Amino acid sequence: MLSPSTIATMIITVMVMIMAGNAMSGAVDEAEEESSAITICNQDDTEFTKQVLKFLETPAGGEKNDVKYVTLDSDDYTKELKDKDIKNVVIIPAGFSEKISNSEQATIKYVARMTSLSTMSNVSTGSTNAMNLINAAVKSAFYSSKVQSGALADKEVAMLESPVKVEETTVVADNSQSISPSLIIAATQMSNMFLPIMVFVLVLYSSQMILNAVATEKIDKTLETLLSAPVSRLSVLTAKMLAAGIVAGINAIVYMFGMNRMTSSVSNLTSSSVDNLDEVLKNLGLTLSVGDYVLVGVQMFLTILITLSISLVLGALAKDMKSTQSYILPVMVMAMIPYMLSMFVDITTLTPALKYAVYAIPFTHTFMATQNVMFGNTTLYWAGLAYQLVLLILCMGFAVRVFTSDKIFTMTLSFGKKKHKSAEE
Amino acid sequence: MEKVLEVKGLSKQYKKGVYASQGVTFHVNKGEIFALIGPNGAGKTTTIRMIATLLKATEGDAVVAGHSILTEPDKVRENITYLPDEAGAYKNMKGIDYLKFMAGIYAKDAKSAAEYVERAKEICGLGDRLNDKIGGYSRGMARKLLIARAIMPQPALAIFDEPTSGLDIINALDVRRMIKDLAAKTGMSFLLSSHNMLEIEYVSDRVGIIAKGHVLEVGEPKELIEKYEARNLEEVFERVVKQQ
Ligand SMILES: Nc1ncnc2c1ncn2[C@@H]1O[C@H](COP(=O)(O)OP(=O)(O)O)[C@@H](O)[C@H]1O
Ligand SMILES: [Mg+2]
Repeated sequence: MLSPSTIATMIITVMVMIMAGNAMSGAVDEAEEESSAITICNQDDTEFTKQVLKFLETPAGGEKNDVKYVTLDSDDYTKELKDKDIKNVVIIPAGFSEKISNSEQATIKYVARMTSLSTMSNVSTGSTNAMNLINAAVKSAFYSSKVQSGALADKEVAMLESPVKVEETTVVADNSQSISPSLIIAATQMSNMFLPIMVFVLVLYSSQMILNAVATEKIDKTLETLLSAPVSRLSVLTAKMLAAGIVAGINAIVYMFGMNRMTSSVSNLTSSSVDNLDEVLKNLGLTLSVGDYVLVGVQMFLTILITLSISLVLGALAKDMKSTQSYILPVMVMAMIPYMLSMFVDITTLTPALKYAVYAIPFTHTFMATQNVMFGNTTLYWAGLAYQLVLLILCMGFAVRVFTSDKIFTMTLSFGKKKHKSAEE
Repeated sequence: MEKVLEVKGLSKQYKKGVYASQGVTFHVNKGEIFALIGPNGAGKTTTIRMIATLLKATEGDAVVAGHSILTEPDKVRENITYLPDEAGAYKNMKGIDYLKFMAGIYAKDAKSAAEYVERAKEICGLGDRLNDKIGGYSRGMARKLLIARAIMPQPALAIFDEPTSGLDIINALDVRRMIKDLAAKTGMSFLLSSHNMLEIEYVSDRVGIIAKGHVLEVGEPKELIEKYEARNLEEVFERVVKQQ
């Protein structure tokens, strides 16, 4: 049972898991740090707001908050946030203190720019904290000035319940809509969870299929028989590739179909909570157009082709069916890391070293395809696609070389002991 | 006599400097059953795979029906069939469909493909079981199917690597008889290999004794037994190796 190759497989698995774990926790730490940041734009230059902000910086009995101040030059939030590279900002509009002093409910604005649908990257505990603190500051100021001075008018009682109203705006790429990011996350959560699972399953399934098919041909020696027959090796390989390509095509279409069903059933599910949610998502560009589906489908097709050509070569290494099962490990790892990461964090925001390491994994671009299309990261999409295309050509080229030379009979894995026939005698 | 196969100094190194077979030289005459005999690891499969154009030879050449494996591997493949060591077939296929599939590869047209299948049906003797999936066949049945497959196109040279290995006595006997009968009936030539030196004595017209990658002796079994004053080929082998 415990052959060297089994042990090697186990060690590699554990090492990969540790590495993936480190990458994850690094990314999560980073996301947390970013999430607690507070960015304020104060457009109400009064003594009162200064007091409120002072309270925000050093809340009574609380930890000091690190607050960053920005000025926005216009109301075009899409442009402003992009130009100033701000993820989210709490805006205190002009006339804020005047409203309070008139005992009217004041308004603050919260604008958040979404760059991915991953859960971690859209949680801004800092902003929530800031808004709560502003509310509390206003309440206590109001309390000390009005309540202590005598009886409250009806209007003032109502106002005390909720002195500050928050108007939320979400910016996605070049579009903005009055909706809170958390609602969008809720609405897209289902598809956001299941689509990566589908990619993952499809990749593993196609890999397993071709790996087993080639391994069986190798072990049963039907491949050897075919290659000694009067048909060209290239046509044998082409037939195999073609069969694999058809499977890849079908898989990609199944994926697109499932994705479409998923997103439509999900928006049905959540549309009850916000009317015109479909409309809002569409205006934000968070629904996929036919063109988008084609782009994601092409990415998926390439991915499965890469998987298949890698699996062709892995299958050619097979010596017996039992050990072959572990050969899928590299494919699994390549799918697992971006799968996990893309669910929780926005890969584009990782530290450069980590980011490019993750980009080097071909399947990363598949997991990011939908996000890239939705959030208008066209450069990243095409760069990823080009990278995958180059990899595909390399992998295919290698597979062709293995199958058309005698490498298919002489290639062995460097780890794992060679078992010689002579041992059987 | 016309030579169907001529092997000239064929060598193979899987790793640089280590010969799996070295300077292998022998020939197979038309209508003859020739067997390479030697223990496991002797280099039989390596030699056979080079002749079957699956492995590139490091040195040397082999000529099959007038075509060199180095310069005309395509032509060589048109003149051979090859039964790999411990070969299996597509388990999900029915026996008859496997024969049709393989006939399609070797035959030039549909008519001869149908002829091939008919011939194979007769040779394998599996009868109605041909309509069952190969996955359900016993080892003996599967081997007979594969041998029928390899013989149906009546190639100039049929190459069988260890055709009886892994079979029980009865099936091994059947297979040996099949090969001998077919050679007599069709005039086909065979290149066999075996690590069982006793059985090969009864099947082959001539044998080549191979050990550690070298062919040490070639000749008719009877002739070799006399030359080495042995009782059988096993003893011949022992003495040949000791002489080295
Ligand atoms: N694919 C391979 N890579 C490296 N060495 C091999 C390979 N196949 C066989 N060998 C070695 O070549 C020698 C001859 O093997 P083989 O031709 O299979 O012998 P036989 O068929 O007579 O049992 C053995 O030492 C074997 O270990
Ligand atoms: Mg062998």
